[in-house]
Amino acid sequence: MKYLEEFSDPELAGRLLEQIHAVTTRPWSIMEVCGGQTHSLIRHGIDQLLPAGVEMIHGPGCPVCVTPLEIIDRALEIASRPGVIFCSFGDMLRVPGSGRDLFRVKSTGADVRVVYSPLDALAIARQNPDRQVVFFGIGFETTAPANAMTVYQARRCGVRNFSLLVSHVLVPPAIAAIMESPSCRVQAFLAAGHVCSAMGTGQYPDLARRYRVPIVVTGFEPLDLLEGIRRTVMQLESGRHELDNAYPRGPCRRPGTRRPSRCCGMSSR
Amino acid sequence: MCLAVPGRVVAIGERDGIPMAEVDFGGGKDVCLQYLLDTRVGEYMIVHVGFAIQRLDEQSALETLATIARMGLLAEEFDGGPGPSARDARTEGVNR
Repeated sequence: MKYLEEFSDPELAGRLLEQIHAVTTRPWSIMEVCGGQTHSLIRHGIDQLLPAGVEMIHGPGCPVCVTPLEIIDRALEIASRPGVIFCSFGDMLRVPGSGRDLFRVKSTGADVRVVYSPLDALAIARQNPDRQVVFFGIGFETTAPANAMTVYQARRCGVRNFSLLVSHVLVPPAIAAIMESPSCRVQAFLAAGHVCSAMGTGQYPDLARRYRVPIVVTGFEPLDLLEGIRRTVMQLESGRHELDNAYPRGPCRRPGTRRPSRCCGMSSR
Repeated sequence: MCLAVPGRVVAIGERDGIPMAEVDFGGGKDVCLQYLLDTRVGEYMIVHVGFAIQRLDEQSALETLATIARMGLLAEEFDGGPGPSARDARTEGVNR
């Protein structure tokens, strides 16, 4: 099993679509939280194959898109300093600040480097001890443990020229803000499966109750999205608003599980 | 950076005292195992920005696929098949 091909099977996708069409009796508006889910919905045409009344509202789940302007401007200023190597995920390079973006700053001679992982930025710091290496630490909950472990590793290895510009955001407050907007049309959420892998689902039942919205933890492949949508429509049609997990193969962290900080003996100061 | 991708662990080692693995995504990449210390070679992990964040549960995956495969079979057996809009959706599929 490779976990990708099997969950893109067109025959099985067709069965799920049949089920969704069969149970849908009225219009519903569902928001998928994660940018990765939006990408998969559009790429596979799922939004076009749903019943006409089932609308997917694309959520703010891309940390690249929701990073505040002030943080971008701060990143541009730091990246422009002599002696700095500024490391970032590639998709941040085109996000505009007040006047420029990191790509333009790079083109004027600043040392801006695209990395896949914060560990790559740490490696750059170790290779360039006479430069200050700054990593642009953006992301939702899924990325925070990676940044934290990189900081721990930097301290453990005695690296003194590595720092982060941090701009982490959380999903539950974003859901609450959306639901409290006067113009909100969202009636249910597909929660991001990998965010829940990192953080668990403990905050979602209260959100589901408070705002009377089904919240279904959903994966990213076509069958995952269709199953998440199917379960969501079933709840909406029956008037339920509960937390459900449609992504059992990526198990969510359960309450009481050791936090990542305890896994590596970190202590807060 | 949004993607968290499943890959198979092909080797386990250590770098600077931190547990690392070589993970095959269809090309190999080094992945930090600090958050999944009981990882074994051959297992599938979800990897995000160079870190294994969760182990994939193959049993759950197989059960999910089996459940989906059974969907609609009883309706076809007893009701004579899917309705027209659902039939169109099934024919079109998601095979883009």
